[in-house]
Amino acid sequence: MKDMNMESRVLIQSNKIEARKVQVYYGTNHAIKDVDVDILDKTVTAFIGPSGCGKSTFLRCLNRMNDTIPSCRVEGLITIEGEDINDPRVDPVQLRAKVGMVFQKPNPFPKSIYDNVAYGPKIHGLTRNKAELDDVVESCLRKAALWNEVKDRLQAPGTGLSGGQQQRLCIARAIATSPEVLLMDEPCSALDPIATAQVEELIDDLRSQFSVVIVTHSMQQAARVSQRTAFFHLGNVVEYGETTQIFTNPKDPRTESYITGRIG
Amino acid sequence: MNNSLLTQDKRTKQRNAAEARFKAYGLVAILVALAMLVWLLVSILSAGSPAFRQSFLTFPVLIEESIADKSGTRDPAVLTKVTTLGYAKILAHSLEAEIAAKGVDLGAMKPKEIGQMISEESSATLRDMVMANPGLIGTTIPFTAIASGRIDGYFKGRVTMESAALDKNTSPEQLILADNLRAAGILKSEFNPGFVTMPDASDKRPEAAGLGIAIIGSLMMMMVVLLLSLPIGVAASVYLEEFAPKNRWTDLIEVNIANLAAVPSIVYGILGLSIFINFAGLPQSAPIVGGLVLTLMTLPRIIIPTRAALKAVPPSIRDAALGVGASKLQTVFHHVLPLAMPGILTGMIIGLAQALGETAPLLLIGMVAFVRDFPGGLFDPASALPVQVYTWTTRGDPGFVERASGAIIVLLVVLIVMNAAAIYLRRKFERRW
Ligand SMILES: Nc1ncnc2c1ncn2[C@@H]1O[C@H](COP(=O)(O)OP(=O)(O)OP(=O)(O)O)[C@@H](O)[C@H]1O
Ligand SMILES: [Mg+2]
Repeated sequence: MKDMNMESRVLIQSNKIEARKVQVYYGTNHAIKDVDVDILDKTVTAFIGPSGCGKSTFLRCLNRMNDTIPSCRVEGLITIEGEDINDPRVDPVQLRAKVGMVFQKPNPFPKSIYDNVAYGPKIHGLTRNKAELDDVVESCLRKAALWNEVKDRLQAPGTGLSGGQQQRLCIARAIATSPEVLLMDEPCSALDPIATAQVEELIDDLRSQFSVVIVTHSMQQAARVSQRTAFFHLGNVVEYGETTQIFTNPKDPRTESYITGRIG
Repeated sequence: MNNSLLTQDKRTKQRNAAEARFKAYGLVAILVALAMLVWLLVSILSAGSPAFRQSFLTFPVLIEESIADKSGTRDPAVLTKVTTLGYAKILAHSLEAEIAAKGVDLGAMKPKEIGQMISEESSATLRDMVMANPGLIGTTIPFTAIASGRIDGYFKGRVTMESAALDKNTSPEQLILADNLRAAGILKSEFNPGFVTMPDASDKRPEAAGLGIAIIGSLMMMMVVLLLSLPIGVAASVYLEEFAPKNRWTDLIEVNIANLAAVPSIVYGILGLSIFINFAGLPQSAPIVGGLVLTLMTLPRIIIPTRAALKAVPPSIRDAALGVGASKLQTVFHHVLPLAMPGILTGMIIGLAQALGETAPLLLIGMVAFVRDFPGGLFDPASALPVQVYTWTTRGDPGFVERASGAIIVLLVVLIVMNAAAIYLRRKFERRW
């Protein structure tokens, strides 16, 4: 019965990204094995799994950030709206404007807070004038729950913020380019419960327009924000499905032991 | 076992002792280096600073028509026939007259020896003045002549009565007269701007030798080196570091650059001689050739620190820029290069400073030639500061030793200015985080 429900939802909500038989190698290290995952449009998808199982690696495949690692080799098919992102005609720069990313480690530019957020809109020509840019910066900082803390010091260096503030600055920077898909690698790992709640609210807002993929080590967070969850283990996707189903009725014993805290 | 925090256990004591020893070694090393530096500076300054002072003789000069223009026609063709020897005589006569007028005691000196106290360079200067303005003939003009190298050396302590007695270029009588002239206010020791503005002079006239052409030549070469090696070096480094695939070819290039940086500089002189002079037909002794040779030499020495500076930029910054959809070029120019800039500038300045002090390759491309005419451009013969130091130290007259040390001071000043500029630029770039 549950399976049938899922099928029907898949039909209604189109696939934004489809990954088929994706393999990733770092030199000879086979880090991602035969991964098939569909990311639905206007949905939050959570990747969970023990440390080192390949969540970040797979996430980086989706906007071809792995291109920057010389030893890294990606095989298999990944499509976004039916188009192969590894096609030689695809410019990764255009792809990354469409598929934004928040990295696991906060990495603000060593520039002012304002410039950090304004950089994306500037290089993509998204705003026509300074006033519009100011608006974008403000709204993004607000969405990332950072505005109240930094509104008086927008010209201060972004690297001078606390770790959690830097992470939210990176979130603001990523959403400033209005991507269609937002990849977030443990965006709340350095945040306190209040900021975490705000970011989760943001993720929920974003869902109305974009799809969001979030890597998290917090089972509660995955359960709270995501509609679908993929469980990674040693480079494989062991189980992928509706979040409620994964958390209440996992099919694979490994999933069950992970979410109940026995492996990982 | 004593566990009190107020007393140190054996291991802690040992570790603290090791730390104290290490600090002491470091301090000793720094003190030794400082002492060397102070010694170097003191010896150069004491040997070289006299070059910036010079003894001048100021007296009215009557340009005798009977010597300068026997024909009385003021015909330039006739005027040029009178050599500097004639003008030396004019100066000698006028100085003799001034000595008589001021009532200075000639002592045991014969009047005809008076002329020896004036530098031959001043005769040439006077001759040039008259050639440019024949109307001066027959008139009396105020004139400041350079005292001869021996007289100058006497006031700088280089020449003594004993050495003068053995020297055919001077005599103890001259030195006594020089003292008297000084007392009478005719001879004065003054700051000598000519040392940095005048061209080099011949072996016999250390008192007239200047660094003008060498400074201009060195500045021109530094210009060429800066304009060529900064863009080429940075572009090559950025390409190799950010764009080039990492494969056997780039490894080979990397090894070669490292080797080139270690190649003795004289080899670049040979290369420059065969490429720029023999093959391309560029003129010898020209700053353009010197600049090109030094550029070749400097490039690998700039590329290596520039690449190191680029490598030191954290990869997460590149990820961040690429992650918001910046292109590779935007990533490099907006984020990586500004962050690497202080390191690049440091490398650049060290490279330039090495090029400025480089002598060997310039000797091979003829920059060692004796040049009297100021270069009008990059293709005219010129000299270079370090080469000037080298040529002066090889000359016989002891007056050149002081000149050479003075030239080293000028070289050091140029280096200090360059380093100051580098520090200023570093600060400026670093302030932008
Ligand atoms: N740049 C790299 N070069 C080589 N191997 C890498 C690289 N990045 C990751 N790996 C390897 O790939 C595997 C998956 O790493 P990944 O970073 O994707 O794990 P993760 O699931 O994100 O872990 P975590 O939860 O700790 O962030 C690991 O075995 C890791 O050693
Ligand atoms: Mg990770």
